[in-house]
Amino acid sequence: MSLWVDQYRPRALDNLHYHRGLSNRLKSLAACGDFPHMLFYGPSGAGKKTRITCTLRELFGPGAEKLKIDQRVFLSPSKRKIEVNIVQSNYHIEITPSEAGNYDRLVIQELLKEIAQTQQVDLNAKQRFKVVIINEADSLSRDAQAALRRTMEKYMSNMRIILCANSTSRLIAPIKSRCLLIRVAAPNGQEMQDVLQYVSKRAGFDLPPEAADKIIDDSNGNLRKAILCLEALKMQSPDLTGPLNIAKPDWETYCHKVADLIISEQSPARVMEVRQKFYELLSHCIPPTVILKTVADRVVERVDETIKADVMHWAAVYETRMRIGSKKIYHLEAWVVKVMSLYKHFFYDMDLSGFD
Amino acid sequence: MAATTFVPNGLLSAPNNGDSFGKPTGLLSKSGAGKPTLDDMEIESSSSSFVRTGLLSKSASQSQSQKDTFKPTGLLGAKVKSTIDEDDPFDDLDLDGTTILGGSVSASTSSFKLTGLLSTSTNGTQSIFIATNHADAHLVDDLSGPSRTTTSSAPSNTLVLPRASVRATTFDGKTVFIKRKPKTVNLRSSATPASDKLNLLDVPIHRLMDDLAAKVAAKESEREAGPSSSASRATTTAKEDNLWVERYRPQKFTDLIGNERVARDAMNWLKQWDKCVFGRTNGKKRKREGNENQNDVQDPHNRPREKILLISGPPGLGKTTLAHVVAKQAGYDVLEINASDARSGQIVDDRIRPALESGFAVRGTKPLLAIIDEIDGATGAGDNSSSFVHKLVQLTLDRPKKGKSQKSKSSPQAILRPIICICNDINASSLVKLRPHAYQLRIQKPSDIYTIKRLREICDVEKLRADSRALSTLVGIAKGDLRGCLNTLQFIQARSAEVTEPIVRAATKGMKEADASLMTVLNNLFIPLSKKRVKDLNEADSRYVSRLSHEIDSCGRESAIATGCFAHYATLRRHDPNFLRFEKANEWLMTFDYLSAAMYNEGDFALSPYLPYTLVPFYPLFQERGAPKIERNQDDWNNLQLTKTNEEIYKTLVRCLQHASTRHGGDFRHLVNTPILQLEFAPYINRIISPPLRPVNSQIVRPEERAVMNRLVDIMSTLEFRFVQERGDDGQLAYRLDPPVDVFMTYDGKRAADVTISRYAVRHLVAGEVDARISVRQGDFVVKDKPTKQKGANKALKDADENEDSLSPSKRTKTDVAIDIADRPPTDFFGRPINTSVNLGGTRSGFAKKYFVTYRYKEGNSAAVRKPVKMSAFL
Repeated sequence: MSLWVDQYRPRALDNLHYHRGLSNRLKSLAACGDFPHMLFYGPSGAGKKTRITCTLRELFGPGAEKLKIDQRVFLSPSKRKIEVNIVQSNYHIEITPSEAGNYDRLVIQELLKEIAQTQQVDLNAKQRFKVVIINEADSLSRDAQAALRRTMEKYMSNMRIILCANSTSRLIAPIKSRCLLIRVAAPNGQEMQDVLQYVSKRAGFDLPPEAADKIIDDSNGNLRKAILCLEALKMQSPDLTGPLNIAKPDWETYCHKVADLIISEQSPARVMEVRQKFYELLSHCIPPTVILKTVADRVVERVDETIKADVMHWAAVYETRMRIGSKKIYHLEAWVVKVMSLYKHFFYDMDLSGFD
Repeated sequence: MAATTFVPNGLLSAPNNGDSFGKPTGLLSKSGAGKPTLDDMEIESSSSSFVRTGLLSKSASQSQSQKDTFKPTGLLGAKVKSTIDEDDPFDDLDLDGTTILGGSVSASTSSFKLTGLLSTSTNGTQSIFIATNHADAHLVDDLSGPSRTTTSSAPSNTLVLPRASVRATTFDGKTVFIKRKPKTVNLRSSATPASDKLNLLDVPIHRLMDDLAAKVAAKESEREAGPSSSASRATTTAKEDNLWVERYRPQKFTDLIGNERVARDAMNWLKQWDKCVFGRTNGKKRKREGNENQNDVQDPHNRPREKILLISGPPGLGKTTLAHVVAKQAGYDVLEINASDARSGQIVDDRIRPALESGFAVRGTKPLLAIIDEIDGATGAGDNSSSFVHKLVQLTLDRPKKGKSQKSKSSPQAILRPIICICNDINASSLVKLRPHAYQLRIQKPSDIYTIKRLREICDVEKLRADSRALSTLVGIAKGDLRGCLNTLQFIQARSAEVTEPIVRAATKGMKEADASLMTVLNNLFIPLSKKRVKDLNEADSRYVSRLSHEIDSCGRESAIATGCFAHYATLRRHDPNFLRFEKANEWLMTFDYLSAAMYNEGDFALSPYLPYTLVPFYPLFQERGAPKIERNQDDWNNLQLTKTNEEIYKTLVRCLQHASTRHGGDFRHLVNTPILQLEFAPYINRIISPPLRPVNSQIVRPEERAVMNRLVDIMSTLEFRFVQERGDDGQLAYRLDPPVDVFMTYDGKRAADVTISRYAVRHLVAGEVDARISVRQGDFVVKDKPTKQKGANKALKDADENEDSLSPSKRTKTDVAIDIADRPPTDFFGRPINTSVNLGGTRSGFAKKYFVTYRYKEGNSAAVRKPVKMSAFL
C-alpha cells in the first residue's frame, strides 16, 4: 500500500486542486496536437510531476499510466558501468540523469537517440510522438545540456521532451528557448488547506482546520512535505484535536540547534563544537548548501536587525565558494567564524583589533 | 691487480701463446683498427703489445709502467668476454671464430677512446660504464671490418657489398649475410665446415675452436674459484660491478646480515620444496627434529602448505637479495618478474605458468623458481578476475575437479615450483587476496650495529677512512636502508677519501627531506623551530616560507596537511578576541580548496606548485612556542566513513523504494530523487512507521489501534522494511529495523525526542505480521515469475534481489553492503556460526580434530616453539 502522497495524488488534469488556469492551458495544449517541448519549473513540492503525469494522461489516455520500471546499464568510455533506472510506458519514458553522475551526457545521448530513431509503433496511439521526461534537469551537466539542444530540434517529429527543474537558472539559454516554460508555483495556504482536507476525507478521518494550519505553516508551501507530515502525525497520534506538536525533520531541528550555539557564545571552543555538529549533519548526507541556508535563516531570525543583512550576505558568499570548492566543511566553518566575528563586533560595539 | 685483470683479457693475450695466431690477429688488427701506420712487424710481435702501445700513446694520466696500462684492457677484456657469451660460440663453428675476433678487435680499437675517457674522468664508475657501452656501440661498426677482410680474401668474392648488411662466404661457398648488429650475428644456420677452402683462415678452424674451448674452460674454472671468500670476491668483482650496491651484494646465504631468522625461515620454506622439486628427502638432521606433522599437511606433490612466500619490508633491506641468494643456495634458477615487466594477469598465463609447469629454464639444468618483485605494484585490487594477483593465486591452487574429468589427470598441471613474492607494503590493497595463500615473512630493519659493521668492512676494502660516528649518523638517517647507505658512501668516495659526519650530513640532505612525514610537517607549521635547530639549519626564522613550503611539498600530501591544519587551528589557546586570525586562516584554507578543486575536478594540475604556499600562512598566524605536539586528528576521516555508511543505507532505501514502485505502478518513484529523499522522506517515514502501539494481544486490541497496526504493516511490507531479531551487547534480544533508516533521525547518538522507540513486544508483533505479509507476496511473486526466470542473468539477478528470504547470507552480502553484517546469522569472532547449546559439544569435538599441533625446534632461535596451541591438543 502506498503512502498518502501517492495514494491521493490526482491522476487527471481535471482533478487537480489548484492552478486551474494552468490545468486548462495544459489541456488545450494536449488537445491541439501540436505539443511543444516543455519545461516545468517551480519550488519543490508544488506539483510539477503530478501535472506532468496528468498531462501525459491527457495526451495518451490511461495507457500512459501503465508503467514499467527497469534498470538500464550504460557503458562509459572507460568501461565503467552506469546503472540508470528508467520508468516507461508505451508512450513515454522517464529518466533521472543525475543518477549517472558525471556521465549524464552519455545517458542522455544514448537514450534519446534510441527513442528518437524509433517511430511510434502503436497505430492506435493518440499521438505520433513519444515523450521523454527528464527529472532534475537543473542538475544536468553543461555537456549533457549541450547534447540535448540539438536532439531536441532534430527529432521533433518523433519525440517531445518535458524537463522538470526547480529553477531555470542553471539551464543554458538554448534549451530554455526551445521549450515552453511553465512555472508551477507553490500553493498558497488556502489551497493547501483544501488539499489536506481532501486527503483526510479520503483517508477517512476529520482533520481540524487548526491542525491543518499548523502543518501548512510548517511545510513552507511544500505540499508533499505537508502530506507526509500529516501522515506521520496521524500515525503518531490518532486523535488530531487538541494541541499538536508538529515534528520538524530532524536535520532541521539540529540545524536550529547549531544556530543557537553560534549565537549564544563566540569562542574557539564553540567553533570546535559547531564543527562537530556540521560533521554530524554532513554525515547524514544533508546537502551542505541546505545546511548553510537553514542555519543562516535561523541565525538571521535571532540576531539584531543591523547585522542581519551582513549575515545573509556572507552566507551567500560562502555558499558560492562552497559550490566551487570541494571540501564543504571548510566553507561552513569559515562562515561560522565570520558570523561570530560580526556578532562580537556588534555586541561590543567597538573595534577590538587593538587587543590583538 | 694485473694478474686478475689479465684473465678476462685472455682473448687479447692468447695470441702470445700460439704463434700461429699471429696472422689472424694481425689481419684483424690491420682492418679493425684501421691504422695504416702500424706495420706488420709490430703486429706480429704480439697483439697485446699493440694494445699496450695504443694505450700508452693515448692515456695521459696513467703512469708509463706496463702494469698500470693493463688495467683498462682488463676491463675491456671483461667486456669482450661478455660479448662472446652472447654470441654463443659453441653453436656455430666456423664463422663464429671470426666474430669473436672481430669483437676483440673492435674492443681494442675502441680502447683508444676508452683510455681517453678514463684519463679525463674523475668519477671512475660512471665513465667506465659509459666506456663499455661505447665499446658495445663500436662493436656494431667495427664488425664489418674483419668480415670484409674475409670476403676479400675469399676467391669467389666479386660482389658489391651492400651497406645494410655484410656479405661473407664460407669455405663451401655458401653466402652468408651478416647483419651489422652484434646480436644478430648469429650464424647458426650457416656453417658446416668444408674441406676445399681451408686457406680462408690462416689458422685452421679446429685450432681456433680448441683454443676457444680451452679459454672458456679456463674462464669456467676461474668463475668457480672466484666467489670462494667474500674478500677475494670483492677484489675480483671490484672493477666489474661498479655500483657498490652490486659489488657487495651478498652472494651466499652466510653473507646475509641482519634478519637471520627471516633468512632461515625463507630457507626452511624453500627446503620444504626439496622433496617435490628434487625428489630427495631432507637430511638426517631434520628427521631427528621430528617434523613429521609437516608431511601430514603436505599435498600429494609434497609441497608445503603455502605455495607462495611473501617477503615484505621497507626498501633497501635486502629483500630481493635474500630471495635470490636463497634461491641460488637451494639450487634453483631464477625467473624474475619485476616492475619493469608488464604485470597484467596475462603475464601469469604467458610467462609464469609455462615456465613453472615445465619446471626448467629454456637452457637451464636447474629447476626454476619464480621471484616476483615489487608485487604490490601489480594489478590485483578489486574483484577483477584477470588481475595479476588473482591469477597468481589461482595458479597455486590446485585445479578444480572439472579439469580432472576432462584430462587424464590434473596432476601434471599443478605447479611444482616455488614462487617468492616481494613487496614493500604488506597491507597494499592489491595483496589482500594473496595474503591468505602465502607464507609471510617480514624483514625488519636490522640492528644498526650489523649495518655499521658491514659498512665498515666495505669502507676498509674500498680504502675509505670512516669514523664510526659518521657511519652511525649515516645509518640513522637512512633508517637502515643499506642500499641508500652504500650509494651515499660511494658518492662520498668519489670526492674524498674520508667520511666524516659533516660530509655525511651534507651528502644525505636530500634523503632526509624526502622523509618529511605528515605529522612532522604539521608540527613544524604550528610550532616554531627550537633555537638549536635554527642554528643547525643556519637560517633566520623569518625565512620560514621557503622552508615550510618545501617541507609541505616534499611531504606530498597537501590535502591531508590542510585537513590537519583545519582540525588543529581552533584548538590553540592563543587569545583571539575578534577572530581575526581565524578569519585569515579560513581564507587561506578556502584558497587552498579552490586550487585543489580546480586541480582535481578540472584536471588543472599546473596549479599544484602553488598549493603548499596556501598552507604556510598558518605558521605566522598560529605558531606557538612550546605548544603540545599535534595529535593525529581523525574527525574528518571518521566523518567520511560515517557518510559512506549512511550513503549505503540511503542506497538500500532507494532500492526498497524502487521495488515498491515497481509493484505499485510507480507510486514511490517521486520520493527517490536526491534532496527529497534525505530532507523529506527519511525523517517522515521514520515517524510514519513508529506509531505508539501498546503491546497487547491482537485479540483484544481496539479497532482503531487495529487499523493503525494494519496500516503500519502495509507500509512496512510494501517498503520491505523489517524488524530483525538480534542479540545486543548485553545479551538481550532486540528487534532492529532493517534497513536501519532510523539512523536518519539519530543525531549525536540520540533519537529524535518526539518519536518513541517501540517496545520489544510491539516490534515482535509487527515483525511477525510483516514477515508473513512479505512471504505471502513473495510466494505469488515466485509463482508468477517462474517461467520468465530463464530470461537472462540480469532478470535473474533482479529476482534474486526480490526473494531476499530464500537467499543464502553470503549471496546477500554481495547485493547490498550496508546491511550485510546484520543480515548474517550470528557468528562468533572467527566467523563460525554460533550454534545453540544443543550441539555445542558436537562442534567442539569437530574442531578439536581439525587442529593439529606443530612443534619445531629451530636451532639458535629463541622463538622456536612459540605457537598458540589449544589445551585439548595435548589431551
